[in-house]
Amino acid sequence: MSDDLLSVQGVTRRYVLPRRTLLSTPPVLAAVENVGFELSAGQTLGIVGESGSGKSTLARMVMGFERPDTGKILFKGRDIHGLSTGDLRRARRNFQMVFQDPFGSLDPRRRVGWSIAEPLRAMGETDNDNRVGRALEQVGLQASQAGRFPHEFSGGQRQRIAIARAIITRPSLLVADEAVSALDVSVQAQILNLLMDLQDDLGLAMLFISHDLAVVSSICDTLLVMQAGQVLEAGTVNDVLGAPKHDYTRALLAAARVGGVASP
Amino acid sequence: MIALHNLTVRTTGGHVAVRGADLAIQPGQRLGVVGESGSGKTLLALSMIGMVPEGLQVDGQVLVKGETIAADDERAWRRHRARTMAMIFQEPMAALNPLVRVGDTVAEPLRLHLGLDRAAARKRALDLFEETGIPQARRRLGQYPHELSGGQRQRVLIALALACDPDLLIADEPTTALDAQVALRITDLLVRLSQDRQMALMFISHDLAAVSRTTHDIVVMYGGDIVERGQTVRVLSDPAHPYTQGLLAARPSLMHRERRLPTIPGTVPQLFALPPGCRFAGRCARELPQCVGTRPPVVATPTGQAACHLPGAGQT
Repeated sequence: MSDDLLSVQGVTRRYVLPRRTLLSTPPVLAAVENVGFELSAGQTLGIVGESGSGKSTLARMVMGFERPDTGKILFKGRDIHGLSTGDLRRARRNFQMVFQDPFGSLDPRRRVGWSIAEPLRAMGETDNDNRVGRALEQVGLQASQAGRFPHEFSGGQRQRIAIARAIITRPSLLVADEAVSALDVSVQAQILNLLMDLQDDLGLAMLFISHDLAVVSSICDTLLVMQAGQVLEAGTVNDVLGAPKHDYTRALLAAARVGGVASP
Repeated sequence: MIALHNLTVRTTGGHVAVRGADLAIQPGQRLGVVGESGSGKTLLALSMIGMVPEGLQVDGQVLVKGETIAADDERAWRRHRARTMAMIFQEPMAALNPLVRVGDTVAEPLRLHLGLDRAAARKRALDLFEETGIPQARRRLGQYPHELSGGQRQRVLIALALACDPDLLIADEPTTALDAQVALRITDLLVRLSQDRQMALMFISHDLAAVSRTTHDIVVMYGGDIVERGQTVRVLSDPAHPYTQGLLAARPSLMHRERRLPTIPGTVPQLFALPPGCRFAGRCARELPQCVGTRPPVVATPTGQAACHLPGAGQT
């Protein structure tokens, strides 16, 4: 379809593992096996699965950090893995990423304003009209806090800073890899709300990766459940959770359920 | 069996990390402790096994089987550790020595505490591996931690904790680092072991779902205080303390895509910035004038007890 913002078509990524003995052929791990999906502007797709299911590999391929062995990833109709390094870097203003660990993703020796402006520098731009300050305000912090260092902020605030950095180039796609997993429940709700607000304000599409089905169902329109590199099931959140087809999905549901409280 | 009376833990700077906690665990009881990071739940657990980090000051009374033990009475604690109570931690890889075969790790307390010889300890370690559901238990005994999966490592640690047949197992975030399916199996295992052995279980977690399927009773902590307690099912379905209510509301629920989640305003304050009265003052929607300055009384609620000036149903 042409109106899709992101189209992932039959993508496979295999890793060659170290050989077990000197002369044997090395084993191959299929991290992602023939995965495809579409994402339109302003929509949120959730990818759920346990560690090793291939969800982060998929995110890295969408970001162009890693190349698929087969298949194509089209962003606004252009194959991002067909771009030159320079073109890919310039194209990346349209898709940005937020990582899991708000402690590891900010340089501790740089003021946060410097970190937030990093994508602008990568584009060869300067912060001429205080875009850093406005990005900080968009994520619920103050423009004056740009001069502070990461250690002066709490985990939730650091994740806000990471989001400010991701939206400063006004992208149309945000890839969030376990972006709320390291946060406490009350802070997690604040960040999820922030992401939904930004989505409304900026018309962002989101690829939201998590192992927590409850988190995904609160923010996503559609859902992919992955296991061992393959898509087990896909559909709208209500369809998948209302009638899970696989034991694995049922286990995820059971793990996310609080007895007598949030159960459907 | 183990009781804490008015237990307070202070940092070197004099800040209160756990404030006047009262807690008693009965034989066979399964107790959940929930709270966000910095709520004092791990310090509470460490004070029950005499492992509060050096430099912290512990006041109040810890009673183990009727015997009062001072926090620094290492000899007395050593008598009780492993036999009366044992503890498992969040990160199973960090808790195992990478250079020691897991079978030898589990055999060590058997030889040290119970005085078994090498062969008897090995036999007992095999039994423990089988009891904790480690597949191919005999082969696993000779393997190193890196050869096991995360779930298997956590089972090894559970086997190690069970080695001297403790009356109480303290599990601090045992499922946090594990995948959903594995976490389900580990909580099932803990419940089964507690029932089979008539062993008390103290299950510490920020994961309300895991606590609700593992425990019968619950303690909710915030800012070093026990703010609410009662039967797990009843507290979670009808919480009385505004913090418990806010925590449950903020948790995304399955099945409906909500437009916005109810949030607790602000963040958990740093230890030095905790209000002197109710620790939740400043973030609470039901705040009264006395909340900031006066520590709230512990009052009976329909589902247990809460430390609040204005407990009750209703949204925060």
